Amino acid sequence: MELDSLKEIWRDSAPEAPGTGDRTGSGNHGVDDDRYPGRESLLPLLQQRSRGPVARMRRNLRIELLCIIVAYVPLILFYLVEFQGRLRAISLALLLVGGLFCAYYYRKSRLLNTMQCLSCQVRSNLARQVATLKKYTRFYLLASTIVIPTMAILTYLIFHFQLFYPDNTRVYHSLSPAPWWKNSTIWLLMLVPFTVAMYYFNVWYINKLYGRHIKKLQELLREMDEE
Amino acid sequence: MVSNGQQDDFIRLVDQHRGILHKVCRLYCFTDTDRQDLFQEIVIQLWRSYPGFRGDAKFSTWLYRIALNTAISDLRKQRPPTTFIDPGELPTQLQDIQYSGEKEQQLQLLYTAINRLTEVEKALTMLYLEDKSYQEMEEILGIPQNNLRVKMNRIRDKLRKMTKEAAYGIG
Repeated sequence: MELDSLKEIWRDSAPEAPGTGDRTGSGNHGVDDDRYPGRESLLPLLQQRSRGPVARMRRNLRIELLCIIVAYVPLILFYLVEFQGRLRAISLALLLVGGLFCAYYYRKSRLLNTMQCLSCQVRSNLARQVATLKKYTRFYLLASTIVIPTMAILTYLIFHFQLFYPDNTRVYHSLSPAPWWKNSTIWLLMLVPFTVAMYYFNVWYINKLYGRHIKKLQELLREMDEE
Repeated sequence: MVSNGQQDDFIRLVDQHRGILHKVCRLYCFTDTDRQDLFQEIVIQLWRSYPGFRGDAKFSTWLYRIALNTAISDLRKQRPPTTFIDPGELPTQLQDIQYSGEKEQQLQLLYTAINRLTEVEKALTMLYLEDKSYQEMEEILGIPQNNLRVKMNRIRDKLRKMTKEAAYGIG
């Protein structure tokens, strides 16, 4: 039997509506039907939230932002108010990192907004997803690798140059009695291997999160392009 | 902001093409729960994209694009069936099932065979069975027509091989 001869059977077939057990989902009903049977089942779906991969990523990003706000705001206020304001430099450092996180959030959010075009042709949508997802993961890797060294360098600069602290306070100085070059070397010795380790950890983690998805999309794209 | 009138139009249009959505769900999901999830996801994505639908393309073309894009991109729906059917055992197993009629049997066999195709091949087969022209397929999938013809021939061979020992071989 030829595939063409099955076209009629295929067109006439009405797969069971998922989960309902009804077989009203055939191709051409509804328009002239006074009872308008689809409305009741379709209307609630319009109020539902998407559970697609991009929607999930957007939701995770929002949760990430919320966690940063919940963690950072009390800390910033604490160091600003406590210890007679002597440690307000830490507040400022946290505020700067918070600002960097806002830029990170903005960039990721923009990438997610352009990640898919569902009304575009399937091939172009796949190509767009692969390209944007690669950008997204590269940015994720860069941001998550440099965040701790940035924070460490910032903290070191604040302590070393005794920035943003009230007059007549020797709190930072007493914390660091060693010569400046010794401190810098120790910081660097700790920071370099830690950053390298963080880089490899992030490569593994990002690959675990998105690797399979990217690979699958690339396979689909390759299959579409091959002759 | 979408008005109530637009919402009614949307529901009417989607209801008209509901069969297509069920077929996409049937092809891309193996379990009823997954089919429900995919159906819901497609309707949500259609509704979100509806304000951007200006009628440049046919509604069905637009709907196919969104339905296939949603089904293909969402890896949650790619879970394999719980029971693996060996191609060699396919005809015997199929003959064991009680069918209401010859057409039903052929359709069941067709679905079983299509389930073994890749996501792209499934989309192509579905559009072919829906009697879409190669031009329409190109509009939906974005694959050049020459390439589509080659792929379609390959799929026919693949389906023929899969069902060659069955009582109703598909070619």
